[in-house]
Amino acid sequence: MADPATPILELRSVAKTYAGGVEAVRGVDLSLAPGELLALTGESGCGKTTVLKMINRLEQASGGSIVFEGRDIAGIDPVHLRRQIGWVMQGDGLFPHFTVRENIAILPKLLGWEPARCELRVREMMKLVQLDVDEFGERYPQALSGGQRQRVGFARALAGNPGLVLMDEAFSALDPITRDTLQQDFKRLQTELGFSAVMVTHDMAEALIMADRIAVMRDGEIIQQGTPRELLRAPSEAYVSQLLDTPRRQIRAIAELDA
Amino acid sequence: MNPNLAERFAELPDLLSGHVLLSVAALAVGMAISLPLGIFAAPHRHLANTVLNIASVIQTIPGLALLALMVPLLGGTIGYAPAFMALMLYSILPILRNTIVGLQGVDRGVIEAARGLGLTDRERLWQVELPLALPVIVAGLRTATVWVVGAATLATPVGAPSLGNYIFAGLQTRNWLSVIFGCLFAAGLAIVLDQLIRLMEVAARERQKGLAIRVGGALMIVLMAATLPRFVELPVNAPAPVLAEGETPTRLRAEEGALQGARVRIGAKAFSEQYILADLIETVLEAEGAEVERRDNLGSTIVFDALRTNEIDVLVDYTGTIWATIMNRPEPVDRYAMFAEMSGWLYEQYGIVTLGRLGFENAYGFAMRADRAAELDARALGDLAPHARDLQVGGDAEVFTRSEWISTRDAYGFGAMSTRAMDATFMYDAVRDGQVDLITAYTTDGRIAAYDLVVLNDPLGVLPPYDAVILLSPEAAARAGLADALAPLVGAIDSTDMREANRLVDLERQTPSQAAGWLLNEIGLGE
Repeated sequence: MADPATPILELRSVAKTYAGGVEAVRGVDLSLAPGELLALTGESGCGKTTVLKMINRLEQASGGSIVFEGRDIAGIDPVHLRRQIGWVMQGDGLFPHFTVRENIAILPKLLGWEPARCELRVREMMKLVQLDVDEFGERYPQALSGGQRQRVGFARALAGNPGLVLMDEAFSALDPITRDTLQQDFKRLQTELGFSAVMVTHDMAEALIMADRIAVMRDGEIIQQGTPRELLRAPSEAYVSQLLDTPRRQIRAIAELDA
Repeated sequence: MNPNLAERFAELPDLLSGHVLLSVAALAVGMAISLPLGIFAAPHRHLANTVLNIASVIQTIPGLALLALMVPLLGGTIGYAPAFMALMLYSILPILRNTIVGLQGVDRGVIEAARGLGLTDRERLWQVELPLALPVIVAGLRTATVWVVGAATLATPVGAPSLGNYIFAGLQTRNWLSVIFGCLFAAGLAIVLDQLIRLMEVAARERQKGLAIRVGGALMIVLMAATLPRFVELPVNAPAPVLAEGETPTRLRAEEGALQGARVRIGAKAFSEQYILADLIETVLEAEGAEVERRDNLGSTIVFDALRTNEIDVLVDYTGTIWATIMNRPEPVDRYAMFAEMSGWLYEQYGIVTLGRLGFENAYGFAMRADRAAELDARALGDLAPHARDLQVGGDAEVFTRSEWISTRDAYGFGAMSTRAMDATFMYDAVRDGQVDLITAYTTDGRIAAYDLVVLNDPLGVLPPYDAVILLSPEAAARAGLADALAPLVGAIDSTDMREANRLVDLERQTPSQAAGWLLNEIGLGE
């Protein structure tokens, strides 16, 4: 484990301007400590997914610099970089023509691990995400429920033993009960394995429950970042309060009904 | 077995192997071009649309036209090369289109997942995109297979032996068994290949190694069995021509001939008389020990180009045809002057030697039913002019573009007549049944007499003479013994004999080789 004082990931004045002059992201500064879970939140189109994709170079930053484990990612081959960073996406993104076992084993195989080691890793991963190897190993994704598929998605992202995991709306396609279970399971996994994570979510409640730190984005810029508690106590502007009001109002409404 | 059927089966090894080789080679090369091209073009929308548009334009060219166009494009070469080129071009579109559509249809989320996980472009293509696009690509390959195997029957007129020989020859000699035989084998071949490809895809998708091996084996066996006659001299070679009951085998002279071991290629156009004469020449040359190769069912100008470029050695053509379509001379001249001038011109221009006239003339003649002619009081062509508006004339596909029709029309005032092109074999029945009033008949056709048709006089001498002549290619003319071997045929066949031989095929349903045997005996060259 790296020195807790050294950030595993640092974004300095990162910007993204598309051809045609559309500024999707402007001057984003972020820092992620080892083992920390950061949530990027905001409305659709605020640039949070673009920030996430610039970290593993699915999108190329057009300004500023991103440093991963002490190296500027501009100098790292994108494929090499991505194999060190876990990637979980909305709607799982599993390969439909691969079995569960093959989906999980893809990165170990690409990394050139021996078959026995790959198999061991698959078993370990499936156990971690609480899927029975014998029951699910040979199934194809279409034979799984949404929650099971997302568990396979986590197992696949973690199989290469990454120090950092990126998640793009990983929970948003799930029904509320499954989502709640998976959120807790993921938190537990993260604590157990000690990896860092950046998650993009438009759901403020999800960010508050799961993240160690939250960065709120609006129109391509970070307008406030801090711990969930800091945000709740001192929203920097009306827009942040507005985002926080939604979960609060829901809780109040439920409490009133229950009274 | 029915002799007709036996003869069809005897031709099968050669024609089926030709068909399979041609189709499979065209498909293999077509796939080798369109698959990488599709993979390369698919990610670029603009490029993908451009290549698809080009391929679509090729596809809109009718199959027969594409095949025919390849002959001049390849400098007059006939046979395998133009047929292969055309079919290969034909196979590109379905494979290319389905490769592009299949790859573009792969779920964007899956592709992003592959990129995000750290697959290289190559790994993503081979492990994710191609496997997911495979069912669509294979569907394209299956479409191409069915198209190409079907279109390969059109390779016959450009001189590549295929199952189309059964269809074209059967159509010309009214041998429907032959047509059906060709269709059944072509369709069967398409179905077998299509299903084997489908099973290969199932094996690939379900990852059943056992099935893949079995299907691959079956495919190999089918292809090898079908193409074997191409590469191996079978112990039981093509049997001797099947003879009708009571017929004695026709064997000419000694086994030791002047042409021992020489290869001679005989060309023939697509109608009964040409098949009979080609059979007859084949018998004469084989008696001299030559190994004869046949190029039947060639288009009228394709066969002449083949002679000019030494792709065939011997051809029977007609003076009026050469005069009008090769020499481009519109005005007809006297029969003997035409023969003399044509012979000199062919030799000077191309080195083609006119060996001589066979003796009969097969001209275009305007024929109509005797009762209909009496009704209109028509004896000469000019008598029809007042009725031109009410008459329809039927003819073969080329006659209405030839100078014979154009000069007749202008000379006798047929401008108001409507024309109807059809295959020559059908026009005699059409005029007999009253579907057309008049046809541009061939004067040696046995059906003129059999159907009680009259050929109208041409008092103005507009229709040119059509003496049948034996032509030798420049190389063949220089070859020792060939001209000598064919010399006995010069002046040997008169119109009556030729008409009877044609009648045997067209009306008595004899095979051309049976009719050729009869003709040989008739002219005293037989036993």
